[in-house]
Parts: sequence; C-alpha cells; structure tokens
Amino acid sequence: MKVSQLLERRREQWRNLEGLCQELEHRRVRRLGGQAVSHFASLYRAACADLALADAYQLPPDTVRYLHQLVGRAHNQLYRSQIFRWRDWGHEMFQVLPARLLCDRALWLAFAIFWGTFGFSMLLAYASRTYSEQVVGEAMMARLQEMYSKPVTDRPGDASGMMAGFYVMHNAGIGLRCFAAGLLLGIGGLFATLSNAVVLGGCFGFMLTVGERDNFLQFVTARGPFELTAIVLSAAAGMRLGFSLIATDGLARTASLRRAASQATPTIGAAVVLFCLAALIEGFLSPSSLPYEVKAAVAVVSVALMALYIFGLGLRRRV
Amino acid sequence: MSKPPRQLDSRIEIVTPENIAFHYVLAGPFRRLPAFLIDVAIRAVVLFAIGLVGTWLFSLAGATGLGWGVTLVSWFALAWFYGGFFETYWNGQTPGKRILGLRVLTVDGQPINALQAVLRNILRDADSMPMAAVGGIGVPLYMLGLAVMAANDRYQRLGDLACGTIVVVEQRSKLRGLASLGQTEIARFAENVPLNFKVNRALGQALSVYVARRELFSAERRFEIARTLAEPLCVLLDLPGDTNPDLLLCALYYRTFIADRPGEFESLADNSRRIEVGTP
Repeated sequence: MKVSQLLERRREQWRNLEGLCQELEHRRVRRLGGQAVSHFASLYRAACADLALADAYQLPPDTVRYLHQLVGRAHNQLYRSQIFRWRDWGHEMFQVLPARLLCDRALWLAFAIFWGTFGFSMLLAYASRTYSEQVVGEAMMARLQEMYSKPVTDRPGDASGMMAGFYVMHNAGIGLRCFAAGLLLGIGGLFATLSNAVVLGGCFGFMLTVGERDNFLQFVTARGPFELTAIVLSAAAGMRLGFSLIATDGLARTASLRRAASQATPTIGAAVVLFCLAALIEGFLSPSSLPYEVKAAVAVVSVALMALYIFGLGLRRRV
Repeated sequence: MSKPPRQLDSRIEIVTPENIAFHYVLAGPFRRLPAFLIDVAIRAVVLFAIGLVGTWLFSLAGATGLGWGVTLVSWFALAWFYGGFFETYWNGQTPGKRILGLRVLTVDGQPINALQAVLRNILRDADSMPMAAVGGIGVPLYMLGLAVMAANDRYQRLGDLACGTIVVVEQRSKLRGLASLGQTEIARFAENVPLNFKVNRALGQALSVYVARRELFSAERRFEIARTLAEPLCVLLDLPGDTNPDLLLCALYYRTFIADRPGEFESLADNSRRIEVGTP
C-alpha cells in the first residue's frame, strides 16, 4: 500500500478524533453519551498505534507532528484532572490532620515562638511605655486608643457584616501570605511569625495599661484564640515547606518539597477555616452588647474545641 | 513518565500508559506572562463588577454593611482561589491559559489534581517577591519566580516545584496531506531509480521537508538547494551527472510516499480494519 493511500484512509479517523476532542473540551463528558466515549477511546488507541508506527513507516514529518499534537490533545481529555471529593477531605481533615498536627514539630516550634514572644513582648509593653513607643509606634498607639475610646457596641448594627468580610479578607490573606513566605527556607515564615508576635504582644500590653482597657478586652477576648491559633498554623505550614528544603530526609530537594507541600495543604485549609470563624465572631459577637462573661465563655469554649480537635482526634488515631 | 527536556527546543517527551511517547513544548516565562496578564485583567473586571452589583443589590434590601461583607469575602476568594478553581474544573487551564493554549500538567504528563491546582496558586505569592512600591501601591515584580524558572530545566516556578507541575503549550496544526506532484515527468523519471534502492529515515524526512517547501522557491533556487543532496545521490544511483537535481528529489519522494510499495504496510492496514469494526 502507498503512504498516500494510508494517509487517505487514516485521515477520516484522525478528523473524527479531533472533532471529539473539540466537543469534550467544550462540553461535559456525560452529555456526550457512552457510545461516543467508547468510540473516542478506540480512536485514541488507533491514533497512538499510528504514532508508534509513524516513524517506522516513514510518514512525512508534518504528519508526525500533527499526530504528536493529536495524541497529546486526546490524552488530556482521556486523563482528566480530579476534582475535590468531599468524603476524602472529611477523612483528611478529621482523622489524618489532627494526628499529623500533634506530631508536627514545626507546629510546636511555631507555637512556642509565637506565644513565647507574644507573652514576653506583652510583659515588656505593660511594664514600660518606652518599649511600646519603640515597638508599636506612637501613631499606632494613638490610633488604638482612639479606636477603643467608645464602647464597641456603639457601632451601627449594619456594619457587622462588612467588618466580618473585611476580617476574612485581611486576616486570612495575611495567613496565606505567611504560609507562602515560609517557602523561602523557613526564614520568611519565622520572620513573619516573630514580627507579628512582637507587634501584637506590644499592642496588647500597651492597651492593658490605658483607660480604654475594658473596651479593648470586650472586643478581642472572644476571637483571640481562633485567630492567633490560625496565625500559628499558617506559619507552621510555611515552615514545614521551608525546612523540607534543608532537612530532606534522604530525598532529592524537590521531592522533599513536594512531599512537605502535600502534607502542609490540609493545615493551611484548617487555618483558613479558623480565620473565617474568628472573623464571624469578630464581626457579629465581639461588638454585640452581650456581657463580658459570655464573650469570655466563647473564648474558653473555642480553646477547648481546638484542644479536643488536636488531642482528642489526634491521639485516637495514633493508638 | 517524562524525560528531561532537550534544552534546545524545550520539548518534553511523555510516555503514556499506552506506552506511546509523544512530545509537548514547555511554556517559558514569556509565554506564561501574557496568559497571567489576561487573568489579572479578567479578575480586575470581575472584582469591580462584584463590588458594584453586590453593594447595589444589598443596599436595595437595606443591608449595605452585609453587601460590603459579601463583596470583601468574594474579593478574598477571587484573589487567592481564582487560579486553583479554574485549573481544577477546566483541567489545568485558567481563562488566560485557555485563550493562549497553555495547560498545567504534572511533571509526569498527567492532569493535575485539585490540591496541586490550589497550592500552586497560593504559592504564587512567594514567586511574586520582591514587591516594589509604586505610588503607595505594592507591585509584585516576580523576580524570584523568574530566577527559579531560569535555574531549572522545566521552567518551573517555586509553586510548580512544590506541586510537581509544569506548564505546556498545546499547539494545534492542521493535517496536511502529501505534497501533490502532478507531472507525469516525475513518475517517468522515477523508473530510472533502481528498484532495490531504499530511502532511509533521515533521507525520507529531508525529502518531504524539501518537497513541501519547494513551491516557495524559484527554479534556480531549487536547483541550488537540491544539488547538495542530489550530487552524491547521482553517484550512488549511477545516474548521469547532468540530471536535474530538483527532478531527482521529487522522483525519490514520489517513489517513497506515493508510488506502490508492495507488502510493506500490511500490518498497519490490519490495524485500521480492526478499529473500523469498533466504530458505532
């Protein structure tokens, strides 16, 4: 048989495959119907066979290039991306993740660094005004005082939704940025954690010394546990990425990074969830006129919930 | 599975589960930048639209604050999860990538999963460093991403390295048939070529490239180009030295691709019959 005849015979099938690829690219598989899908599969196999033999049978280079592209295009339609499966994620979030967090040394390191620095900075700011002036800055101090000069319950009721949205965008954004910065050998994450802890601790310590203390506590108590834990979580996930480049555990650096990244993703997911919870509390509960005892109770309950998540679920899995 | 690309044309070879190797062209920074800019533009327009419509709708209902809340949350979602969402549901493509024919794959040539799609877009933030302050607004310079891309041989930025993904170009070309050689003169000349002369692979490729493009050249130019190959062939085939080089190459092409070659393609023909049976 001649090459020309062979091409003539094949052209029809290749065109068909091309048409099916085009349909698959723009429509859902389900609407195409089973018969067309199995036809697609057999056409794809035929095109693969043609490509494999192309060189041996000296098809012209143009045709070979066309076949490479056709097979690649069909390959992409046959093997598609996997979308989220919620059940798998439930398993990941409620069984695998708590156990991993419990054993994650990066998390406890981030936890210790953040809370240690935070507490130290708060003590210093409480004890000395010069420290707060240097760390927080006088402009910021004046703004904080002005912000909490009135009880927060005076805020128009309508603004709660807006503030909740703002906190999601702003705080979860900071968390994700902190995570990405961890990729820079962990130094970025460490730096972000430290600077957050020093400044936040300074603000807290300073606000405890001034007259607006009660308004301030009304506002921050309820949301504090979720939000600060979320910052620690995102910093830890980032550090995991960064440290994986240094301590590779015998893997190649990119392989080690890849493994750390797939483990760190659920952690950052948990952090985003916590940021959203904190934003809801911050937007709706903190500025409400409920007594301080309720807000303190919310803080206690949220700490208990998180402890239950990490220790309760984590230890169960371990045994 | 993929082998490391050959540097010169940045093609990457992928072996499918069907055990076929095919080629992709890797997308470098200068192919990816326009796709990214298109995505940025789309996002900016959608952000603006959401801000306008969201706040307007909610203010009609008398809940301006809530409207802003919803708007801000959707801005956050759009800023961080736009790429991840589309690359998950559009099989590795964002709108910008689709317009410019790019696609994200794993380094093994498989489609990416949702985890990789989301993570590589979150880690974009590390690639975008450092920031430059232009008139009070931080503008990402992407120097780190560019440097990392230049330093590895698959044009992967940091996010790609962490997720094991690559970006490839999906080229489309039309199927062109064989070049038509109408003249009977060529067929007649082909008789002069000894029957036992078989054109090997490299020569076959050279012939089809030449014949596909000879239409573009004048007769003198064809003569000049074809002579390089035709002169040693004349000696080999024992043809007279004054043979027209263009005619000789066309005749060989005719012999190889158009004229009968009995017995050579039986197995291939079998394959085609088998497929036709499966046709619905």
